[in-house]
Amino acid sequence: MVNKRVPDWLNSSLWSSPQPPPSPPPPSPPPLSAVAISDPPLLIPPPPAIARPSEPPPSSTSSSPYAHAPKGENRDPLTSSYANNTSVYCTDDDEDDGSPSYSAPSNGGDSGAAAPPPPAAQDVSRQAQILQELSRKVINMVELRKLASQGLPDGAGIRATVWKLLLGYLPTDRFLWPSELAKKRSQYKQFKEELLMNPSEITRRMEKSSLENHELEAGSPGFMSRSEISHGEHPLSLGKSSVWNQFFQETEIKEQIDRDVMRTHPDIHFFSGDSTFAKSNQEALKNILNLFAKLNPGIRYVQGMNELLAPLFYMFKNDPDEENAASAEADTFFCFVELMSGFRDNFVQQLDNSVVGIRATISRLSHLLKEHDEELWRHLEMTTKVNPQFYAFRWITLLLTQEFNFADSLFIWDTLLSDPDGPQETLLRVCCAMLVIVRKRLLAGDFTSNLKLLQNYPSTNISHILYVANKLRAH
Amino acid sequence: MVLVLALGDLHIPHRAPDLPAKFKSMLVPGKIQHVICTGNVSIKEVHDYLKTVCSDLHITRGEYDVDSRYPETKTLTIGQFKLGICHGHQVIPWGDLDSLAMLQRQLDVDILVTGHTHQFTAYKHEAGVVINPGSATGAFSSITYDVNPSFVLMDIDGLRVVVYVYELIDGEVKVDKIDFKKTTTS
Repeated sequence: MVNKRVPDWLNSSLWSSPQPPPSPPPPSPPPLSAVAISDPPLLIPPPPAIARPSEPPPSSTSSSPYAHAPKGENRDPLTSSYANNTSVYCTDDDEDDGSPSYSAPSNGGDSGAAAPPPPAAQDVSRQAQILQELSRKVINMVELRKLASQGLPDGAGIRATVWKLLLGYLPTDRFLWPSELAKKRSQYKQFKEELLMNPSEITRRMEKSSLENHELEAGSPGFMSRSEISHGEHPLSLGKSSVWNQFFQETEIKEQIDRDVMRTHPDIHFFSGDSTFAKSNQEALKNILNLFAKLNPGIRYVQGMNELLAPLFYMFKNDPDEENAASAEADTFFCFVELMSGFRDNFVQQLDNSVVGIRATISRLSHLLKEHDEELWRHLEMTTKVNPQFYAFRWITLLLTQEFNFADSLFIWDTLLSDPDGPQETLLRVCCAMLVIVRKRLLAGDFTSNLKLLQNYPSTNISHILYVANKLRAH
Repeated sequence: MVLVLALGDLHIPHRAPDLPAKFKSMLVPGKIQHVICTGNVSIKEVHDYLKTVCSDLHITRGEYDVDSRYPETKTLTIGQFKLGICHGHQVIPWGDLDSLAMLQRQLDVDILVTGHTHQFTAYKHEAGVVINPGSATGAFSSITYDVNPSFVLMDIDGLRVVVYVYELIDGEVKVDKIDFKKTTTS
């Protein structure tokens, strides 16, 4: 049996703290939770983070893959998780010294105590690079993908445009953009008119020429004559082709979509709350999901699609360009369709056990883990018997939107969408990276604690995860 | 798009055993938002059945109703329309359109739904519209034995109402409609 050692780069002091005085193995969760609890003051909760897109960048995390030292002094909400993270994954059994972790260079290898490289400069240059790329006549997708995989800055509507390019909504030739957009947007409008009308309006349109329209206040008293109905269309019709019948059959799906949209990101004002803004956003989400369900009778609507839709809509609606923001619904619809085309197999129940289904994908993740870290794999699968389905299902089907806060998941999506082979490959690598990063805790834990850890993945520095995931590619 | 079912004069079990099977198969719960019943259902079981079709049931008292707590008349507002319900045996002469128009003006409603004659009628006059859904079971009336089971489904959509008339003629369900609208909001 070939004993695959943990790869050297993983063993470097970067990822682990210097061994503290050997303490009898305490159950790992408590000290860690103590660490975690001390950190929330540093972690800015989502709502302010969401205001970020309007804030001027630079987000320094984009430069972090190249810097091994966490920038302790950086207060950008995005990277505050940095600070939190260094303690979380490094110190398995370190006691919490109570001080803000980012100023604790005692965390061994992350010699963050050294002066942090100027994040602003690096980041501004990245933004400039991307803008330059975007302003070309014909966009070089390979180059763009490379840039995007390192994370996109938040400002200037860059992310919205880049995602549209990556998902193939916008053609690479800039010249064609206006016409393409106009075409697609009018197509969406047409879809909505055709498919989202309620049966009353449909029947009304069917008989535009209908004559016997009595007016209540006008005309002389008399018996109202009955007229024929067209095509046997009446509300109680049980016919398969009846507009009414179809309408009632779809009510179940409509209600399901309603419920899920209400539950999407309740902590973010954009999506929930009583403001008209939130309500109109919810309406848009509902329209898109209903339309998708109608156009795809094979897959209809499955819970979770709303989570995949939310980041797209959020990005496009917050585009500083007015025209784009106004047509965000149409743009999101097509991009959503594109995104789903890669992942629809995960949502089809019948395919669960097939080669393309979710089970197969999960077992691929398992294999990937075995390849890179056999010890961890053995511990998880054999010793503690943590079936990957328990945690990976949500990771994979929802593209990690539920594991990290909203801002972080946008970063991850940058990398996922930029992969020329399709997001699935990168997704598996990122999941593998997530497992590897917390390997110390996993190895020390039993079934319960491991499951708890993986189902509530600790807040981590996103760029670090992406860095590790990238390294896995090389191996 | 509000669907309102109007029916009445069922007379179950005295004059008819049950609704026609074809009607029953169409009255599936979940589609209809309101039920208006003119009266003479007669027994509680029928009342309960109507409640399963839709929980928002409005019913007035007919002379053969066992439950004496139903009101004589009732008014409700659905969308832009005011509807009034009365069984009709109180309005003399029975089925007389002018007298019903008087009742409609008293109740101040756009659409008055009455029964008792067991004949479908839809009549328009200055004060509004009178609709008689007939007898849903085809029970005989004091006036005639020859009754076709019928009921009415109204689709109230903004200022427009489409009245679908369901009639069982020779064992087949025939559906017609009547279209009317209001020009001013109430």
